[in-house]
Amino acid sequence: MLNLILKDVLIQKNILIIYIATIILYLLVNVSPVFIVFVYSVVFILNAFSNDEKDNANILLNSLPYTRREIVSSKYIGALIFTGLFMLYTYVVNFFLNEQEVVVLWKEILLTMGLVMIAITFILPISYKFKTKYLTIVAVALFGVYMVMVNYFVPNFDGKVRALVQKFMTLQDLQLYLFATVIIVFLYVGSWLLSIRIYERKAF
Amino acid sequence: MENVIELQHIQKSFNGFEIKDLSIKVKKGFVTGFIGGNGAGKSTTIKMIMNLLQQDSGTISIFGKRYKGNEKEIKQRIGFVYDDNIFYENITLKDMKRIIKPAYKNWDDKTFQQYINQFDLPLNKNMKTFSKGMKMKASLAIALAHHAELIIMDEPTSGLDPIFRRELLNILHELMQDETKTIFFSTHITTDLDRIADYITFIHNGEHIFTKEFYKIEEDYAIVKGTLDLLDSETEQEFLAIRKTNRGFEALTANKQRVATIFGDTVVVEKPTLEDIMYYTKKGW
Repeated sequence: MLNLILKDVLIQKNILIIYIATIILYLLVNVSPVFIVFVYSVVFILNAFSNDEKDNANILLNSLPYTRREIVSSKYIGALIFTGLFMLYTYVVNFFLNEQEVVVLWKEILLTMGLVMIAITFILPISYKFKTKYLTIVAVALFGVYMVMVNYFVPNFDGKVRALVQKFMTLQDLQLYLFATVIIVFLYVGSWLLSIRIYERKAF
Repeated sequence: MENVIELQHIQKSFNGFEIKDLSIKVKKGFVTGFIGGNGAGKSTTIKMIMNLLQQDSGTISIFGKRYKGNEKEIKQRIGFVYDDNIFYENITLKDMKRIIKPAYKNWDDKTFQQYINQFDLPLNKNMKTFSKGMKMKASLAIALAHHAELIIMDEPTSGLDPIFRRELLNILHELMQDETKTIFFSTHITTDLDRIADYITFIHNGEHIFTKEFYKIEEDYAIVKGTLDLLDSETEQEFLAIRKTNRGFEALTANKQRVATIFGDTVVVEKPTLEDIMYYTKKGW
């Protein structure tokens, strides 16, 4: 299982330097770490996924002594590990760059992890069922909907999102966090099981 | 004798293609050549043997075990070579090895290196720079490096030059000195089989036509040539396929002795090649 997770890093090792360099760049212009970690984690996970798809690697992986359950599980476990690593890296760089006492709020960690998990919950089963190229179409369509919404229906959409995040960060009710965490974990595990089911029925 | 691969009453249908009641046995310790025309179902069968595809009905057992619950154990013992590229294009063979090696308990770096040297493969070049033949060699080196007991190959010789084709056959031949090894490979270059195959399994249109020992094929099958006046509705029954021209006929029989007694010296009986058998079976006439 660990081999499969390491594999996702190895096949991206040529662009790893780009990930590392651009994160520094974004931090220099003060992009929010939550946003950076979220975007990089999702991109990293999806890029690994599309590499498997593009290069017929599914045939290879399924011919090696792995079960389909392991292959899918490696993606879900890997997603959490990669997000953790991006988070660690981003906060460490941020600490050195901004030379300020970066207070790593557990709420911020929770928020980032939660966002990645929600994204993966929806993306992976769709990717397993269809091809990632359909996902791109969906993403473009969603972006279009977002733009329309922002411009016509919800004035100051970004501001509202920011306010929502702010609200989340300042919430004092611990029970609410616990509740949100449980729901996200529940969805994630559900998505995991669904992906295994889809993948086990797949033909290569 | 022990069977390494056993397919029993396999049924599988796609849109426009069907495998019907396919039962195949592959014996341990021998090379079995798997032949059939394009679209006969060779690759589909191999994919089902590798559990890349699931059959609609019927059972598959490898080393006497079903895949369900034994998948890892079975695949530890199989080496595979496919016709398609299965490597990540943007990494080197060295990285590819790093990915594959930890999957196998019996991985042997020394053997791997030995084949890499023998095949003249560059470890530090991206896989996308590899030619089809080089990728096939890389697959073979990997299959041999983990001491697989069963080697399954789908059209391994199709992209190779004649020199390496012969080299490959020599390697396989050497490998077979070890009596515990089994090789099952599909091909439509039937001359490859003359050199190493012990058994031939022939499928046509998703149906199993025969599995025979190689030498038996020449004993049973024959190409018969004669004049048209020898043929009537009764004698035509003796043949699997008949090709008539205005000079005479050429036909394939699966019972050489019987034809010899019926026609005697009036016909010419020739040894068929595998290609003849494939050709006549496909055409049917």
